Amino acid sequence: MEHTTLAHHLLLAGLLFALGLTGVLVRRNLLVVYMCLELMLAATTLAMVAFSRFAHKMDGAVFVFFVITVAAAEVAVGLALIVALYRRRGTIQSDALNLLRD
Amino acid sequence: MPPDFSSLVHWILFLPLGAALFIALFLRRAGAVAAWLSTGVAFAIAALALRLLTAAPGDTRWHVELAKLGDISLGFGYLIDANARLMLFVVSFVAAWIHLFSVGYMRDDDARGRFFGGLSIFMFSILGIVVADNLLMTFVFWELVGFSSYMLIAHYFDKDYAAEASKKAFIVNRVGDLGFILGIAFCLAHFGTLNFAELGALKPAAGWPWLLGALLMCGFIGKSAQFPLHVWLTDAMAGPTPVSALIHAATMVAAGVYFMARIAFLLTPDVLQLIAVSGAGMAALAGLCALAQTDIKKSLAYSTLAHLGIMGCAIGLGRPDLAVLHMAMHAFFKATLFLGAGSVIHGCHHEQDMLKMGGLARKMPVTTAAFIAATLSNCAVPFLAGWYSKDAILEAAHASNLYLFTLLGLAAVATCLYSARMVRLVFFGPANSEAADHAHESPWTMTAPLVVLGLGFSVAAGFAADALIPAAALARVAEPLRAMAFHATSAATIVGLVALALGALAFRYYGRAAGVDSLRVDLPRFYGVLEFRWMDAVYGWYVDRVQRRLSEFLAFLDLLLINGVAVRWLGAGVPAVLGYLTGRTLHRGQTRLYALSLVVGTLLLAWYFLAR
Repeated sequence: MEHTTLAHHLLLAGLLFALGLTGVLVRRNLLVVYMCLELMLAATTLAMVAFSRFAHKMDGAVFVFFVITVAAAEVAVGLALIVALYRRRGTIQSDALNLLRD
Repeated sequence: MPPDFSSLVHWILFLPLGAALFIALFLRRAGAVAAWLSTGVAFAIAALALRLLTAAPGDTRWHVELAKLGDISLGFGYLIDANARLMLFVVSFVAAWIHLFSVGYMRDDDARGRFFGGLSIFMFSILGIVVADNLLMTFVFWELVGFSSYMLIAHYFDKDYAAEASKKAFIVNRVGDLGFILGIAFCLAHFGTLNFAELGALKPAAGWPWLLGALLMCGFIGKSAQFPLHVWLTDAMAGPTPVSALIHAATMVAAGVYFMARIAFLLTPDVLQLIAVSGAGMAALAGLCALAQTDIKKSLAYSTLAHLGIMGCAIGLGRPDLAVLHMAMHAFFKATLFLGAGSVIHGCHHEQDMLKMGGLARKMPVTTAAFIAATLSNCAVPFLAGWYSKDAILEAAHASNLYLFTLLGLAAVATCLYSARMVRLVFFGPANSEAADHAHESPWTMTAPLVVLGLGFSVAAGFAADALIPAAALARVAEPLRAMAFHATSAATIVGLVALALGALAFRYYGRAAGVDSLRVDLPRFYGVLEFRWMDAVYGWYVDRVQRRLSEFLAFLDLLLINGVAVRWLGAGVPAVLGYLTGRTLHRGQTRLYALSLVVGTLLLAWYFLAR
């Protein structure tokens, strides 16, 4: 088996990112959309770790710790918003949330 | 090396500014304190100015550069020559007594703080014009004078006529000042300096361009109420009487004359000719118009116009020294006349109609004595103050141009006629109204200035000129005083004496009937012609028919092109159409659509930057 290279990592990160993006664009349930967004974030983090690893520097890896920490806080806020939205409107289908159109 | 007096000038210039600021910040409700503070400062300035006047001769110069733009230096400085010393003294001395008069006259006014603050800021402005050593500084203080004049005319701003009069004065002065500032720009463009001394040292090979003098003259025409911008002065009488005395008789209107004397070397013969003719013409006409005014202050305003015309004529004759001398003498007696009128108005409970006065000589003896003394000086009775300068100007006119001399002679006659009429109607005969019947003499704060200025200076300033003012300090002014003194056979003296005789006849003529104007009864048509305000009618026609139609046309263009095409069609139409289109296609309220456009946009940007 060959050694994994930077290209492999980046390909994986790109696939994950594309998967998340497709989910964001296609799905209507906000909870799923949110999970897809997190997937995109994870993909970028993966790319960053890969760069860090192959450049033999720790900067990117350290950065990733901060990203994960902030993402955790962000998830707390985002989920709370979705719960609040469901309580108020009784739905979290994005198509139904178009009050500001007019 | 003469002693340096610039610190003295600092005090003279900035004391009134300090007083005005202090009053504006702390004393707006404390009218009595403000009044005495302002008056005290005015007397302090007068004392300092007297010190400067009697000090050793020699010009005081002081200059500090404020900014340098390319080769152009803008600065703040003093140039105190003999004229400036005389003017400083006259302005501050007359103003000090007028301040004292105002303390009594304005005692019952609610806005005394504002009034005295205004007087102080006016003092600062006018003294700035006097000491200024360059054109731009003169212009700045010139505008400040315009502002303080506006503020003081509009003292009774809740009265429509006062508000309108102040507006008129301001706007008419703007017309003249436009010429002034164009003149400054012209001077800068051609000679690169605005400093009087540096300009004086220049000797342009082709002579001074006539346009420069003509443009700067516009400022003088506006400020000194020369024809055709004289219309604001009579309306300016809407202000309180001490303001009329200080600003619109003794000092501000004289500032134009002083300024012309300062830049006399810039004026070419054509410009001088123009000033002389319009000055002499206005002197004669305004003198006659004074005969057809029943308001005592308006009549005096026409008298001021006549004297300003005489001063203008003196400048036009190439004798600015005589103009400045006449300005000084005129300041003394005309301030007294206005203060006397103020005292009369105060005594008669704010009655200003001369036909409703009469018989005040017994009730207001001090006012009467001072007023008559100043009137005699105004009529140029030999050896009184007004005679020295007026006789000299008449003599100068006789020596150069017979037409001008005729016009000035007519002005002298008119002066005697309206003066006799005024004294006869106001102080003699029976009392013609309730108010005049119950008139009372004014308090000491008002009579003291009358005595000093009227019985003292209006009478004796001519003799005092030598005693008070060292001859060397006043060399330019004092010389003609002696050279042109009384010659029994000279034309000017003969005209003056004839005028006085006619004045005596007029005194009898106006005594014929009480409560009516004899001239109006005998020659109603002539009286009407004099009373009618011709230039106001012309300006009214111009503004209403020409200017207003042009501006209405421009307003139509504005409505059509700017407001219509540019704003309504393009400015509002394009966003409306775009908004409609995008609203139908993009703004659907679909989160996924927004996300998609975000992605597409990002991809497009990435493609653009990577594929380049």
